[in-house]
Formats: sequence, structure tokens, C-alpha cells
Amino acid sequence: MRWKHAEAPGRAAERGDPVSTGFSDQLIAVLPRLRRFARGLTGAAAEADDLVQAACERALARAHQFQEGTRFDSWMFRIVQTIWIDQLRAREVRKEDGDVAEDRLGSDAAVRGIEARIALAEVRLAIDRLPPDQRATLMLVTVEGLTYKEAAVVAGVPVGTIMSRLARARIALQQHLDAGGGIRRSAKNAEA
Amino acid sequence: MQKHSDEALVAYLDGELDHTEQRHVEAWLDADPAVRDRLASLVQSAELVRGAFAEIVNEPVPERLIAAARGETSAGGDTAAAPQEAEILVLRPDKSVAFSPPRRWHFGLAAAAGMFGLMFGGVGTYVGIGMLNPPAPAADRQVAASSATGIWLDNAAASFKLAVNAGDSMLVDVPASNDPREALHKISQSLPQQVRVPDLKPWGLNFRGARLVAVDGRPAAQLVYVTDNKAIGPLTLVIGATKQPDIARTVDRRQDVNLLYWRHQGRAYALVGHTDVGYLWGIANDVAWQLDAI
Repeated sequence: MRWKHAEAPGRAAERGDPVSTGFSDQLIAVLPRLRRFARGLTGAAAEADDLVQAACERALARAHQFQEGTRFDSWMFRIVQTIWIDQLRAREVRKEDGDVAEDRLGSDAAVRGIEARIALAEVRLAIDRLPPDQRATLMLVTVEGLTYKEAAVVAGVPVGTIMSRLARARIALQQHLDAGGGIRRSAKNAEA
Repeated sequence: MQKHSDEALVAYLDGELDHTEQRHVEAWLDADPAVRDRLASLVQSAELVRGAFAEIVNEPVPERLIAAARGETSAGGDTAAAPQEAEILVLRPDKSVAFSPPRRWHFGLAAAAGMFGLMFGGVGTYVGIGMLNPPAPAADRQVAASSATGIWLDNAAASFKLAVNAGDSMLVDVPASNDPREALHKISQSLPQQVRVPDLKPWGLNFRGARLVAVDGRPAAQLVYVTDNKAIGPLTLVIGATKQPDIARTVDRRQDVNLLYWRHQGRAYALVGHTDVGYLWGIANDVAWQLDAI
């Protein structure tokens, strides 16, 4: 099978066309995954979309920085994560970080309606309890399917750090789920 | 030691160990039933994590995000940005990253069908696309307006590019090789409309699989066909819903991507590829005939 590679946006940017249709098209195409990644980071739909919107705006402003030969989605993940970390830091400064997880998940009535949905909500809640670096690593590798090396590039850390963060995240998540108990029951019921 | 063991187990699951390390882990698994249980738990939790976020990629993308991606929002609209702008480090070209192999995990067919409400099987298999049911009137007017401005086609072309750029790493929600029966059973219970996956083998095009994509912020089916014939493929066929009047096949273009689109009895079709328009016309004739879409 042969694939033709579309023009990298960086090349368009070099021609003085930083917000070319091609760049926007690639951005639009990756939006669903950016929303998913952002949802995993923030735990809230509206906040996740705000984050993605900010990332789009920054990406368009920095289109010339995209390097041909690198993955566009990874570049966007990195922008999303960078903005999110900034938001976390700003909240810490403003002392606004608090018990938001319950509120985020509690607003989704549909999640509570069906037992399987409850299981998914518990998983999201468990992920929300992870430290930010572990949460981001889990989303990049386990949900978005990046390799450790790709995730290391996005996070700007060594591969070994990704490995240890991921292991800690997976074990902690396992403990949260085991403690919840409902996950197992729901999963078994769903299978039945 | 336990920390290292956990790291090794997780990395083993993720396919990140070299051959020697894999053998060590497998020997460890063989020797210790408790570790096997631990591994099984990790597998289950990973599936739960993926399942918890699976539906999000199939949600309609808010218009404000599409507008933002098009640069249609003001610079001051960076509402979620941090007060102090962070440095975005430039990613260095790295071919091993750019052309990485696909990861080992995939969504199972049943899970994919359940989560995405979409089922595709092999060539000639009927496909239920419940999420493509005609939208509400107000939304339909929006789709019509958007179609008029070409957004629908912009998105169809963008989805095609995404699939092409992914190459062999492209993930399809439902691969062509999966057994469609279970998902078909589930999906048929709630879907009034079904369409077929057109057989394009006479054109040398093999059905690779199907994805649910966002077109103009709404879900649409993207059927992916591949071929070794560089003059034709790869191609995608995007099928969405519309209440707009039928239109004849019309040619359009987005950069180096050709599109042949038409509407027929509540469905909007777009055949997308790099191939020349002559091929697209011929293939579209075939598609339309097979799907009763003309």
C-alpha cells in the first residue's frame, strides 16, 4: 500500500501562508482526539473544549514552528498539554484548585443512568484522581496510543520517565478501581 | 524491585520491551500465578480506560472549535489560555516517531460497535449507520448552509488527508476483517436504515475498514479503500445524512484532493482521493449503482 503525504503546514507557513486551508484541515481532522485528550486531562467537557480552542488558536499562531517530518497530532497534544499545565499552575497560584472532580462528573446525568455508564464514570473519576503528569501520560499512551518514545517527545521528558509515570498511573488506577468495587461488578454485568 | 516489576509488566502490555525483556517477563509470568492475575487486572483496567473515553471522538465537534481551527476566532478569544503564555518547544524531526508502527491494542468489534453505533463488515456487508439518521430540522438547515459553503467537503477532504497521512498506522474503528454479526445484531435493533459497503474490487480497491468521522461537526461514515495502484488510490467514501434536495454528482477540489459529491434521498456522499476526476466519475457510478444512490 502506498500513501501520499500531504504537505506539512510548516512548509505552507514558510510560503507566508500560516493559516492555510491544509493546516486548518489537519487541525479539524485531529479535533476529536484533541477533545478526548483534553477531556482526560481536565475531567470536564466544557473545560476540555475551552482547552482545545485555546490550543487551536495557539497552533495557528505558531504554525511556522511545526516541523515537517514530525507528527501533527503529537505536536497538538503537546500544545494542549502545555496550556493545561499552565492552567494548573495558574490555579495553584490563585488557590482555585479544589474538589472539582465530583462536580464535573456529577453534571453528566446520562453517565449515572446505566450501570455500565457508572463504571465508565468511576474510571474517569479514578483517572481524575491521578497526579497531572501521570494522568497525561496515561491519556497519551493508553488512550491515544502513542508509543513511549512519542509520549516522551510530547511531554518533554525521557522515555524512562514515561515508563515510570505510566506504571505508577496504572497501578494507582488499579487500586482506585479495586477500592471502588463497582467497576468489577459493572464490567461483569456488562459482559453477562 | 516491585516498582521495576510493575514497569516491566506495563511495558510488556504496551509492547515496549525488546525481545530479551519480553522473555524475562514471560518467564516471570510462567512462574508466578499471582503475576498473571496482576497482568490480567492491568489488561482489564486498560480496556476500561479506553472505553471510558471511546465515545468522545465520535461526538459532534462544537462549531466553535471548528471555527477556532479555521482561525475564525479573535486573538483575544483565548479564554482558556494561561495568563502567562508558555513556551511551545518545537518538535524535532524524528523518523522513528513520525513513522511509528501501530500499537498493539485495538478496540474489539463489539466494543467498537457498541460505542460508536456503527458496524462495518467485509465487502458487501450491510452497514448500519444509526448516527447518520436525518438530523433535526434546525440542524439540517445548518448542514445545508454549511454544505453550501463547502465546509462539509472541507471536512471530508481533511478526513481523507488524515487517513492518508496515517498510512499503515491508520486506525479504523471497524476493520474489514472483523466478524460483523454481533455488532450487526445490536445495531439492527435500533436502526431503520442500512446501506451496503460497495465492492470496489473491480477497480483494484480493497476495503480497509471504516471510521466514524466528524464532518461539519456531525458524525459521518468514512469507508477507506486502499490499492497498490498509485493512479487510483487510496480513496475514501464519506456518507452523511441530509434533508437537502438531491443534487447530481459534482466535482470539487481541496488543494491536491479531488472530491466528487452528490446527494440522494436523504444521504450526502463524497468520494475523495488524489486520483483524477475521470476515475472518480467511474467509481462513483459504480458506488451509486451498488448503493442505489442515484
